[in-house]
Amino acid sequence: MSDTITTIDALKEHLYLAMQLEHATIPPYLTALYSIKPGTNVDAVQVLRVVAVEEMLHLTIAANLLNAIGGTPDLTRPGFVPSYPAHLPDGETDFKVSLAPFTKETLAIFKKIERPRLAPGSKKLVKRLYRGSVTVLGTYPGADDMQYYSIGDFYAAIEDGFDRLEKEAKVAGKTIFIGDRKRQVTSEYYYSGGGELFPVTDIGSAKKAIRLVMEQGEGAGGGIYDHERELAHYYRFDELDRERYYQPEDTAGHPTGPTFSVDWHAVYPVKTDLKLGDIDRKKSPELYEAALSFNQTYAEFLGQLTQAFNGQPQLLLQAVPRMFEFRNLMGDLIRNPLPDSGGHYAMATFEIGDNQVLRTVAIEEAGA
Amino acid sequence: MSIEDPHRFLAFSTEVTAFATFDLWATGQVEAYLATVNSAIGGAILAELLSTYEKICLETEGQALSERKARLRRQIFGSEKLGPVARNIIKLWYVGTWYELPTAWSEAFGANPKDVPFVVSAAAYAEGLMWKAIGAHPAGAKAPGYGSWASPPTIPAFAGEPAIAQVKEVQVNRNEGLAR
Repeated sequence: MSDTITTIDALKEHLYLAMQLEHATIPPYLTALYSIKPGTNVDAVQVLRVVAVEEMLHLTIAANLLNAIGGTPDLTRPGFVPSYPAHLPDGETDFKVSLAPFTKETLAIFKKIERPRLAPGSKKLVKRLYRGSVTVLGTYPGADDMQYYSIGDFYAAIEDGFDRLEKEAKVAGKTIFIGDRKRQVTSEYYYSGGGELFPVTDIGSAKKAIRLVMEQGEGAGGGIYDHERELAHYYRFDELDRERYYQPEDTAGHPTGPTFSVDWHAVYPVKTDLKLGDIDRKKSPELYEAALSFNQTYAEFLGQLTQAFNGQPQLLLQAVPRMFEFRNLMGDLIRNPLPDSGGHYAMATFEIGDNQVLRTVAIEEAGA
Repeated sequence: MSIEDPHRFLAFSTEVTAFATFDLWATGQVEAYLATVNSAIGGAILAELLSTYEKICLETEGQALSERKARLRRQIFGSEKLGPVARNIIKLWYVGTWYELPTAWSEAFGANPKDVPFVVSAAAYAEGLMWKAIGAHPAGAKAPGYGSWASPPTIPAFAGEPAIAQVKEVQVNRNEGLAR
């Protein structure tokens, strides 16, 4: 099969998957972040917080790209939130990303998520077989057994797709950038950004947007810093791993900045990939209710974001206090011991069901 | 009572703070508060307080709520010995601060060098139940986000239910000699 994007529908589907992929990293980063005991590990807290905020920016950029070509961002589509652990591509192999506490092992997975890597040849897609029940991110739309070699390749394919389709359209005297400009989310609606949000209206801004996502994450292009002289996510995690800061002029793997220490024990040992069903509803009714209501509130939040990305960007401002609420709710769960789990603690399970009602409402309200 | 066994302390705290045990764990301060009380008044008086509470719960099980409340008032809050300690524990949960017990109390039941006013920790201040109770956030900590001041505060519903199930579980475990 071809690993190129040749139709506008395929491009739209790729951009939906890009939104799913960007979002999928947020629950794992937040779980690790809030598992750190308050008042400890200030360096790790800072790195995880910055990376999580930038992933939110990437999610919004993907929505802008989709809106630019007349697509309909939908974060309430069944399966948008993966069931953890979810599989991600990493070159020839893949790996599983989990909702887990901040540990050396978790950090190793985070480095894999952000690792700079591209397929050695021109073939970007590889065939992989999974059990039907697992969530696999970065697959080729419509061909679930085909996965991109890496996240970098996934975005490279999207960039090629924009290029190819826009050139074809130009030849016919048209453009693929037919989206309503008012649906673009810009910095005025986006609090405490993690970067500037600009509207995507043509091939130039589309490419700039894709580059921003790739550079902030992986430091694509070989540099450890992006255009804005900010350290790429991979190297921020590498700093935590090595307990030493990078400084300008450093090369990958050799930070020479100040050292600091990570206290791996100042972490709540949350139960990895906890499911609601693992909480004894009779024995721990308060805990069960709290975990359940977190999931319900999060599902509503995704509905709200869907509306915001469908022509009501001002809703993003209302979403801000809600995100701080999630911080508190996640913290509440993470500080609660999980009975009969051998000393583990609870956490937000991020089980967002196939909530058809919520989805319909969000889309209808957005269209109204 | 060992510091490692917070369940008895939590059952009592749930009753007197009117917050759910989930909310008490959520403060992340359970162990720190237990250690604070333990060092300020000594293990013996704390054990007496908790045993008294457990006895009231078990003896009023199945009776009207008012009966348990009345006995709590008489036997704990009305007690010269246990009342000030119980009130201090409530204040501890709500504001994250241990207040020195009244002089009369120290003279009657023994002074303790650790019984001085202090904020348990910066986190204890931020996690005080009073913030949740009034639907606000601690100034300078746990900011609620840009523009959130435009919305009214959300005041949570209070559980206010007896912690009888927990008390019974503690009793069962003690009888079976299980370390929890």
